[in-house]
Amino acid sequence: MTARDNRVQTILWADLSNGSTRLEMLPEEWTRKYLGCRGINARLLFDEVKAGTDPLGPDNVLFFGTGPMDGLPVGMGRMSIACKSPRGTVAEGSFGGFFGPELRRAGIDYLAIRGQADHPVYLYIEDGRIEVRDASHLWGLKTNETDAALRKELSDPDVQLRYIGPAAENLVHASPIFGNLNNSGGRAGCGEVMASKRLKAIAVRGSRGIRVADYDAFLEAYKVLRQRLDLATSRDMWTPVWSTYGAPVLARLFTDIGNLMTCNAREMRWDFDKATRISAENYLDNYVTKAKACWCCPWPACQKLHEIKSGKYQGFKGGNYWAAQPVTFGSLIDNDDLDWLLVISGLCNQYGLDVFHVGYTLAWAMECFENGLLTMADTDGLELRFGCQDKDGLIDLVRKIAMREGFGDLLALGCAEASKIVGRGSERFCLCVKGQELEGIAERNLYMVALGVAVSEVGPDHTRWYPPYPCNPSLISKEELAELGIDLDLRLAFQGRNPEQKGKLLRWFTISRAIVESMPSCVFLVRDTLGLDMRPWWNLFKAATGVELDYPEFVMAGERLLNLDRAFNVREGYRRADDHPPIRMATEDVPYFGYRKLDAEDFEPMLDEYYEANGWTVATSIPTRKKLEELGLGDVADEFDALGIEVE
Amino acid sequence: MKQLELRYVAHVTTITDILQEGHQTEAVTIRELLDELDARYGGFHELFVNLDTGQLNLNTMIYYSDPGEVPISVIDLDHPIGDGGTVTFW
Repeated sequence: MTARDNRVQTILWADLSNGSTRLEMLPEEWTRKYLGCRGINARLLFDEVKAGTDPLGPDNVLFFGTGPMDGLPVGMGRMSIACKSPRGTVAEGSFGGFFGPELRRAGIDYLAIRGQADHPVYLYIEDGRIEVRDASHLWGLKTNETDAALRKELSDPDVQLRYIGPAAENLVHASPIFGNLNNSGGRAGCGEVMASKRLKAIAVRGSRGIRVADYDAFLEAYKVLRQRLDLATSRDMWTPVWSTYGAPVLARLFTDIGNLMTCNAREMRWDFDKATRISAENYLDNYVTKAKACWCCPWPACQKLHEIKSGKYQGFKGGNYWAAQPVTFGSLIDNDDLDWLLVISGLCNQYGLDVFHVGYTLAWAMECFENGLLTMADTDGLELRFGCQDKDGLIDLVRKIAMREGFGDLLALGCAEASKIVGRGSERFCLCVKGQELEGIAERNLYMVALGVAVSEVGPDHTRWYPPYPCNPSLISKEELAELGIDLDLRLAFQGRNPEQKGKLLRWFTISRAIVESMPSCVFLVRDTLGLDMRPWWNLFKAATGVELDYPEFVMAGERLLNLDRAFNVREGYRRADDHPPIRMATEDVPYFGYRKLDAEDFEPMLDEYYEANGWTVATSIPTRKKLEELGLGDVADEFDALGIEVE
Repeated sequence: MKQLELRYVAHVTTITDILQEGHQTEAVTIRELLDELDARYGGFHELFVNLDTGQLNLNTMIYYSDPGEVPISVIDLDHPIGDGGTVTFW
């Protein structure tokens, strides 16, 4: 077994049009400038996928990125996938599990896939060697079937896999890439892009070790990080709660305080007993069979495996119950049957569908149906009402969405496109930003969430600015903020419906999470100090790579990533007008507690503050030349000029 | 005697072993209610009361609402409670 270091990162290029591959070293300077993973993916994407590229054509490139910390035994097992979304924006998603560390152990940090095969293929990678193999026999299989078939074919139960399901093969909107049966990433359409290349799966095996540059310094840095993450010593007492229960623990609290999107968010308070039935507490007590962690995670396991132990669906097994499921297949469609909820979300995983797409589009269709915009003649005879009376019919509808059959073909477009076809005011029921369905966190009484969702370059994705819940500003002191050079009034920033300081807070959260995902580590590990103090990560990075950079340089890498993502979207024509909440949030008051709609007089100043804090032109959201040059991205400004984009 | 609805979330259920309950009390404030619950279950003081300040532990939350009113995040443990109120312990 040979060991490799972390200072220089490698990239394996594969062109599926002609089957060619080549392994290259990335410039050493990139480790300093972009750190790794999401950061380097952003640079690669901007450079390799030019403006106007057909997202489903051969010139779009699908990147799988690891990073210099990936595979080290400190809970750094994330990876990032990136490409141009079928909707034109950056498509980027993060994965946990074990694939990233395995890819690094195979000697590869980045995998770049361009071209299109003339028949279904899969990639087999072993210690730097890559083979393009026929996958005709796998095409059409569900994700769980693909997983089992490949493990059997390769006679390797521990091979690490990424694959797509039938939904992506049928180019269903927002289809992600899957792995470990229940994990998915890249809901902005990375699965569709993978399918457009006729790439069904990637299998990887590696046997090399990974060596840190300075072992003693690494150990010392890890002790500090570990203390912050440890269930016993973290300054945030929610660390053990979160690691045990995960995000669904919010369901009961959020309905209590009028913050749970119910019946397509036309209501914000659900019946408390219903919320209790689908709660994390009920799930943990009655369904969980095993806790499961990602690579060397210091937390016991925010992922779970479960099994339905009795009733109609007895024996149905699945995994992972996060914030997505209780909202999308619970309150949003008014279903409090946790058995059925786990079945329908499990089927989404098996078909390779995005649960947010399916949940929000079902909710949109239910509201259309209840308002007479859709009838049983449109829905293949399904009475599509909130409360989910026809549960078998809905299960079959999920299959139809994946296979694009009948009424499912309309819903397979996602609710933004479907509402354009149905028209007649159905757009009001569509909860999307940049063509992508929302996630689980409500907007109208948490303004920072509304802003974060609106400005995200990939469409709604809370991991890009993850605010630890419950938000507790006392996790970092004024003195610490001053020491870090962060000018922020957290008291104002954390007031839910006060627009002040939201832009500045979001900027810092976005930069911090960009850094974490470039190491790569998991954004859910940033509870302590709200993730605003990045020094433990900085010390780990230096010790692991041997790259000497000062703290402001380290922070600047996160800002650089943010600007590259924004620049990619600018080049594709996205501007300030695209950074807005869904119609419902901007025009309808919440019917409880006096929570009003998110009107322009509150929202626009938040947007101004965010753009100003980032050094972007307020009127357009385009990064200024001054800002780009300050970040060492003068080439981006030059390209804007060459394309006739007005950069200040 | 007041009738309250008590709701326990996440780690609090490891103390109570139940998710919610109706509760009859003569407690006038949240603090007195915590005393009652600590006597019944044990662990409520340790979890919710900061030993130095005698006030709510910064990393815990208690929501209180009178019937039909907006739930408020309790800051002062001497906040009064009324008949028909709902208290959520986080």
